[in-house]
Amino acid sequence: MVSQAIQPKRNRITQWLAADTMEGIRRQRALLGYLFIAPSIIGLLIFIIGPMIATFALSFFKWNVFRPPEFINFENFTRLFSDPRVFTAFRNTFLLVIMTVVMLEILALALALSVHRLASRPLSYFFRTSYFLPVLLSGAAVAVTLGYMFHRDFGVINYYLGLLGIPKISWLTDSNVVLWSVSLTTVWRNLGFTFIIYLGGVSSLPTEILEAAQVDGAYGWRRLKSVVLPLLSPTILFATVTDIIKMLQFFDEPFIMTRGGPGDASRTVVMLMYENAFGNLAFGYGSAIALILFAVILLVTGIQFALSRRWVFYS
Amino acid sequence: MTTKISRREMLKLTAASAVAMSTGLVSSTKIFAAPPGQDTITLRFQENEQYYAEVVEAFKQQFPNVNIEYVTVTGIDHAEVASKILSQLAAGTPVDIGYAATEATQLYAGEGLALPLTQRVLDSKEELAEYFADVSPVLTETMMYEGDLYQLPRDFNAANMYFNTELLAKAGLEMPPAEWTKDDFVEYARAMTGIDGSYGYGWTNRLWGSWTPWFFVNNTNFLVEERAPGGEWMWETFYADDPKAQGRGGGWRWPAPQANNPEMLEALEFVVSLTRDGLTPEVGMGTGETLTGFFTSGKLGMTPAGGFWSGNLYNQGMPKDAFDVQFWPAWKSQRHQLGVGAAWILNGSQHEDEAWEFVKFTTKKEIMEICGLFNPVTLTTPVRRSMNNEERYSVTGPANWQVFYATLDERPDTGPIPAPVFSIEMTDIYTRFTGLAVNGDMTPKEALDGMQAELEALYARQ
Repeated sequence: MVSQAIQPKRNRITQWLAADTMEGIRRQRALLGYLFIAPSIIGLLIFIIGPMIATFALSFFKWNVFRPPEFINFENFTRLFSDPRVFTAFRNTFLLVIMTVVMLEILALALALSVHRLASRPLSYFFRTSYFLPVLLSGAAVAVTLGYMFHRDFGVINYYLGLLGIPKISWLTDSNVVLWSVSLTTVWRNLGFTFIIYLGGVSSLPTEILEAAQVDGAYGWRRLKSVVLPLLSPTILFATVTDIIKMLQFFDEPFIMTRGGPGDASRTVVMLMYENAFGNLAFGYGSAIALILFAVILLVTGIQFALSRRWVFYS
Repeated sequence: MTTKISRREMLKLTAASAVAMSTGLVSSTKIFAAPPGQDTITLRFQENEQYYAEVVEAFKQQFPNVNIEYVTVTGIDHAEVASKILSQLAAGTPVDIGYAATEATQLYAGEGLALPLTQRVLDSKEELAEYFADVSPVLTETMMYEGDLYQLPRDFNAANMYFNTELLAKAGLEMPPAEWTKDDFVEYARAMTGIDGSYGYGWTNRLWGSWTPWFFVNNTNFLVEERAPGGEWMWETFYADDPKAQGRGGGWRWPAPQANNPEMLEALEFVVSLTRDGLTPEVGMGTGETLTGFFTSGKLGMTPAGGFWSGNLYNQGMPKDAFDVQFWPAWKSQRHQLGVGAAWILNGSQHEDEAWEFVKFTTKKEIMEICGLFNPVTLTTPVRRSMNNEERYSVTGPANWQVFYATLDERPDTGPIPAPVFSIEMTDIYTRFTGLAVNGDMTPKEALDGMQAELEALYARQ
């Protein structure tokens, strides 16, 4: 007669997670994994996914906080596509993105290459800190200060340009100039962050390839164009993608410096969205603008990644 | 007529947050209710503790079970403050007592957010008689909407003309008389322009101040003005013996735009000519702070501001005899524009009674005297006539401080800046086209035609 050990009675969960079977061990590990990522997932759901779904839903409603939301189908989108101010805001935003990102990438890369070449360590730390400091400043404080500096009649910038014989420039009230003022302010404030990204990229370039290029006679511009830039291409892609996404959401500088003026000359999409939602209490319309901007950001980023296959060198 | 939102409706509205809506859920959480078992009532009060600490301390001695929680809301202008208050409402964390100036009074009243105080004021007739006797009827009328009173005025500011007396002296001029005119003003501006790189007159593009005073003295407005019916209860109860209360109604209405009428055009052409002639520096969007910096550093000879500016200039280190103030120059009239500020009570707050006691308490003269906005430095003009006295302005200046209240008493046609329920969107249209006219992108006529067209569209959407 074969004796059988008496097994303790298990409930369904402990049985399901039993450590004496391979399945149970696998399930235990999976559960542990889920527990570890739960805080992130919950945060993502509450702070990112939830508001996104809410924004999507709100864009089909008319809601001003005071009265109950009223379902209006696609009316917000119909209004949006026939509103000339939306097109002006998108045009301003794209122009600002182009001006700012081009200046940012070129300057940050140039500064990173220069600082990397510095032999003196204290000097290198000094420049790194100096370039990064503006990043730590509040956007509003920077915009207010530079707003004073850009004043046509009392600003320090025109004062020094005047010493050089350059006539006064209406930095903040000339429709043809105002985007440059906003862009320059943004570049000054954000340069440090992009600079640090490039400095990290430059510092991790494989020295054996650079030395080999030197041995082969590649110096100066030739070395930069044919060796350094291809090696840095993943960093360039990362910097441009993040900068473009950030700049498509331009808000602080134009909001504080010009309030979008003169007229709509410096009004950005996010400003228009904010003003409609929180100023005009058209939360549905504001959500529709936000949704379109989200789609544009997605599209632009997608195009960047698609094009990157042609010029980014990963190995 | 009052639009009262019941507590149940208010709960539904605030609970109809975006997430809830997207999932089809409407929370029934009692967001205004105090936690069970809590005896002390907490009032959420939209104010700065540094100004109200002593007032609240005094209130607590009388009402020890009422706790005041400060909710600080800052913004570049009243419109931005209003939008933040509404965001708090949308988020389900509204204030019990808010603060609103004229720019937002009708927005809160018209949308049913603010509690009408009419019956409560009448019930406290004896207690409030002394207060109203000390407050100009112009100010009270400005806080009314469709016959009801929504706020007990606390402070006001009418746009008077400030002078940098140092520049004035360098130009060989003396302070102008009360009846000075627009032509005198141009002469003054011309004389002060160019002294040490200064400009005769400066202003910023917004609703209050801005170029609004110029079309007021040109006897017009960019919105049609009319008085709402009603309000007799106020005038008969509290102002029966005051001739300045005659002909007043139940608050202001602005039923239609008229931005491109000939008088508006004349006024805008005038202010644009000041820039073109080099008497005014670049006009940008902004607040009083921008002007304060330029004025205190002797770069501006004249600028529009109210009583609030004397304290600001003093705090910026300007000696009291370095500036003075006069009425706005006369054109077709000498009608001034003003803005009034006061507390409002949330319609639907669980603690309406306690909030009313607090608001009423803050109107007592001895309490207003200890309020940080009026003591030790006057940061805004108190609505009580008796508080506008020599002693108040003896430290800060200006010498001609009497102008502040005389603007109400001696120029009784003075009225509020236009601020209908949709004032935030209206202000955006106003400042946008003003900017395009003063920077030369549009002629004054084009700008006012554009302003009129957008205002008409705005009215049509209401």
